[in-house]
Amino acid sequence: MARVLARSPIGRCCPHAPDPSPRPSEAAPRLEIPKPVSTVRSRSARRAVPALLAGAALALTACGTGDTGSGDAGSGGEPQSGGTLTFAVGSDAGCVDPQQVGSNDTIYSVRQLVDSLTDQDPETGEIVPWLAESWEVSDDATSFTFHLREGVTFSDGSPLTAQVVKDNFDAVPNLGALAGLARGYLTGYTGTTVVDELTAQVTFGTPNVQFLQATSTHSLGLVSSASAALPAAERCSAGIVGSGPFTLAEYVQNQSITLDRRDGYDWGSSRWADGEARLDSVVFRIVPEAGVRTGSLQSGQVDAIGSVGQADEAALSGAGIELQVRANPGVVFGITFNNARPQFADAAVRQAISLAVDRQEIVDAVFPTGTLPATSVLSSTTPGYTDLSDGLTTDADRAVELLDETGWAPGGDGIREKDGVRLTLEVLWAPVAGTNQPALELLQQQLRAIGVEVTLREQPIAQLLPTLQAGEFDGAWGNVTRADPDILRGSYSTQLANLYRLPAGELDELLTAQAAAADPAERADLVAQAQELLVEEAFTIPVVELQTTLGVSPAVHELEFDASSRLQLHDTWIS
Amino acid sequence: MTELLVKPIAVAAPAAPVAVAEAPAAAGRGTARRLLRFLARRPGLVLSGVLLLLVAVAAFAPGAFTSADPLVGEPAENFAAPGAAHWFGTDELGRDVFARVVHGTALSVKATLIAVGVAFVVGGLLGLVAGFVGGWVEDVVMRLVDVLLSIPALFLSLALVTALGYGTVEVAIAVGIASVAGFARVMRAEVLRVRTAVFVEAARSSGTRWYGVLARHVLPNSLGPVLVLATLELATAVLAVSSLSFLGFGAPPPAPEWGNLVSEGRNYLGNAWWLSTMPGLVVAGTVLAINRIARALDGEWAATR
Amino acid sequence: MGRYLARRLAQAIVVLWAAYTVSFLILDALPGDPVTAMASAGLDGGQVDPAELAAIRAEYGYDDPLVVRYLTNLGNAVTGDLGNSVATNRPVAETLGAALPPTLQLTAVALLLAVALGSAVALLATYTRRRWLRQLLLSLPGLGVAVPTFWVGLMLVQLLSFQLRLFPAFGNEGAATLVLPALTLAIPTGALVAQVLAKSLLTALDEPYVQTARAKGAGRVRIHLAHALRNASLPALTVVGLLAGQLLASAVVVETVFSRDGIGRVTASAVGAQDLPMVQGVVVLGALVFVLVNLLVDLVYPLLDRRIVVAGRRRSLA
Repeated sequence: MARVLARSPIGRCCPHAPDPSPRPSEAAPRLEIPKPVSTVRSRSARRAVPALLAGAALALTACGTGDTGSGDAGSGGEPQSGGTLTFAVGSDAGCVDPQQVGSNDTIYSVRQLVDSLTDQDPETGEIVPWLAESWEVSDDATSFTFHLREGVTFSDGSPLTAQVVKDNFDAVPNLGALAGLARGYLTGYTGTTVVDELTAQVTFGTPNVQFLQATSTHSLGLVSSASAALPAAERCSAGIVGSGPFTLAEYVQNQSITLDRRDGYDWGSSRWADGEARLDSVVFRIVPEAGVRTGSLQSGQVDAIGSVGQADEAALSGAGIELQVRANPGVVFGITFNNARPQFADAAVRQAISLAVDRQEIVDAVFPTGTLPATSVLSSTTPGYTDLSDGLTTDADRAVELLDETGWAPGGDGIREKDGVRLTLEVLWAPVAGTNQPALELLQQQLRAIGVEVTLREQPIAQLLPTLQAGEFDGAWGNVTRADPDILRGSYSTQLANLYRLPAGELDELLTAQAAAADPAERADLVAQAQELLVEEAFTIPVVELQTTLGVSPAVHELEFDASSRLQLHDTWIS
Repeated sequence: MTELLVKPIAVAAPAAPVAVAEAPAAAGRGTARRLLRFLARRPGLVLSGVLLLLVAVAAFAPGAFTSADPLVGEPAENFAAPGAAHWFGTDELGRDVFARVVHGTALSVKATLIAVGVAFVVGGLLGLVAGFVGGWVEDVVMRLVDVLLSIPALFLSLALVTALGYGTVEVAIAVGIASVAGFARVMRAEVLRVRTAVFVEAARSSGTRWYGVLARHVLPNSLGPVLVLATLELATAVLAVSSLSFLGFGAPPPAPEWGNLVSEGRNYLGNAWWLSTMPGLVVAGTVLAINRIARALDGEWAATR
Repeated sequence: MGRYLARRLAQAIVVLWAAYTVSFLILDALPGDPVTAMASAGLDGGQVDPAELAAIRAEYGYDDPLVVRYLTNLGNAVTGDLGNSVATNRPVAETLGAALPPTLQLTAVALLLAVALGSAVALLATYTRRRWLRQLLLSLPGLGVAVPTFWVGLMLVQLLSFQLRLFPAFGNEGAATLVLPALTLAIPTGALVAQVLAKSLLTALDEPYVQTARAKGAGRVRIHLAHALRNASLPALTVVGLLAGQLLASAVVVETVFSRDGIGRVTASAVGAQDLPMVQGVVVLGALVFVLVNLLVDLVYPLLDRRIVVAGRRRSLA
């Protein structure tokens, strides 16, 4: 696992960058499933995570601007308790149940409400204890036994027991479409056995090697049994009761999410400081305009902002603001076709569109410094990533040739037509980051050049999923963050949601097989084949890797990324 | 000058030529001299006329102002400040903002004209019917108008946009319907005034059919104030259309409109002030010019007689 | 006086009913189906099942004929139940109720500011004897009604927030965040107030009673404030009444510009999500505010001018 992260593409872009982190350079297979370990509780052994994290951030972003990472963790003096952190994000997913939220801006806040069974080290990828002190995985990866911490309580006073784990996982498959991520993680779930008060055994009908990592994500963060019993819609609008370092104080849709510190919290991840969170409260304000977020951070109205764009970098750096960056693992940003649409059911058309995209131009014009163009369906920091840059080149001439061969001929206004149908690609997108619209407008220009008309259909993030489900789109712009290649299965397997209407076929077999491949080398091979197939068939057009770029006031310390480039605010403090 | 003044209205409503007939018919050197003196004392009015002329040219022949492509830019030259090469600077994709504003004029002016046209025709008809027919018809129409007036125009437009969907034309129709009430009121008042005038009574008693009276006497003589209102309404419609476009209910990107140009600039307030400022200035200038000319039409000219 | 009030009240109720009906008809003409939107809102989960669709249709009464649906909804609306939002599944009345206080606060402050600024400009312009100052002041209202509200807001944010750092750029916390949005909202309204007031002040100053007062030796300030303003304020008051609804509507734009909580943002996102019940709720709310403010104006009117006790004359002033 460590090696995967180490092979982030520093060499391509910044050849002289030193290997910044002192992590063990084990020559293990690329995909290592953490062995069934009986981890000792290591509260005292908390490492200097922020410092390492800064290193990791540098490593992962390849060409950082130099002021990346929370490098001030050491210079800020003694951590202080108290105060309110105001964080401006761009959008609201319309739901405050971590198990049902998939949008980064909202995950930032709801992640703080729940604890997970495990945590994932953002630097090594290693799975470490959190609510589970230790665990065992059966050799065929169908059975996972978790030994829970004692003394953990939810904010409604109920204790964490094996029964709570069972209630949570039993409820997930019935949560509905919003919980697509969580449901995907529990594919093949057959049940949870309460072995004793603090031991839960989760079993699957088929091998499910990604499950251990999945338990570290916000999607499988544990809620109280009472919350798990509520209908999905109610959990969304009213929130859930978790055991996390913060509790939900107020949620005003499209406006703000306010968190208060949970008194008596003492069961944080093994990577965190002991005890309660340091901040009294955190206010996430929804500020849709990137320019207003930037200006407000400069003027001190907010302490931190999400989704900093390239245009704001200079202004923020000039004002002494730190840019904290980390590349997101998972499926890169790109356009995924509705493969059921007849004009896009032809692979040649999809391939032509892919060939017309100049990824580097888009990255240079729109995205924050250090962002990488896509070189596979997976981002380069995802375990199991395979470099397919040879298959993702820009060749407009070849694109034109392909389209000519398929019979799509340029019409009067230059847009191609066939049998009276225009070659129009309506792209569905949500304004969750300031970079989305300019990136899409540039794509629009690039595809116009080969006679493909792109129209943009903007929808609020909360409305995106219903439209995808209904299949009312030609293509959709988006990404999914996860530090495990199984995210390919969640996105493209026809046996799951299959929002993009892919045809059943060889890809399904590869994706199903990798989920069952207990041997890391074998799994890596299957994942590589799946990526190759996706790029070759161009079911999706990878464009750019997401790099999370936060603007953080110098007064804020130890604002940390987790393994999926989302926030951990337990240790964060304000000076 | 009269022609110039009437021009925007003429485009707005096919019925407008009547206004020319209504304008001082006694053309001649006296009128010309009076016009020149009138204008010489009002440089602001002349400037407004010139500005509106420029806007009209930009709307119908944008190529006259700029050869730059409003949709395709040079990404490497993004965020260039206003200067000789790019009068209004460039945006995030290196597109020429001046070209985008000029080409955006077409959509914005089109929407404005449709809006005023809808309001003029629908409102005018309602008012005409109410005033001419009278009785319970008048009561019903005018109560409906009262209701329309009690719903804030923007809310009414937003409800209509929700029903009609997004787009330039949809927004224009929504804005137009929302301003029907004002036209209906003025039209009715004028029809009532004219209907009782001596020459109308005379025409009636001499046996002219009702539609003859309507077409030959009532309509031409009651249109004047409605046309002044239409001119004023142009200004309101420019603002309303660009507000809805600003809120994101107009043309989808990358098509430029005055409103969405300002809106897109919001993301770059910190590093590129010109993106929002320039299109906004054009809107403000256009509205000022329309209002100035409306004022001239509404009595200022007649007062010099 | 009692009959005057009763009649006004009855009129207000009729207007409200009609506004509800008009918005119902407009939104019912929508080609999209609110039930499909509701079912696929993701909250009920999974793919949309035709049987489930029919069930929801029946539950919400969407399979009833138009008239039945209208009467049912109207009956509910009378009891304050405006239905549930399609996007969030929460009661419309509740959402609007929660969003109303910040918007009322904003519009009230803006209205005060508009009246203060507008009156100041009008009084000063009609009082001063310096020609250039008068010209300058009289040209301000024209400028004020011409600049787009959203643009003024952005310019103020850029200048006063980002450059000079005097006021916060967005949010609802504290009085400081109210300054810029209220100012933005007050500019076009204040400009109209100034226009109307200046015009009627000039007229009033020519009236015989002012001449009389002047002949009696009353001071300029006294004549201006005590005599002319009192009578000139009637048309301005009418304008304020008419503008209250517009002010609420302009809040849609201003709240969007300043990322402020309130009716405006609720409206903008409701339109974005094609949330019909919510949009209808907003329209009715707008009419309600208009009606209430005008009732208030009607109440204040007789206090300012004893002559107006007969109803119906005010309309002609507008």
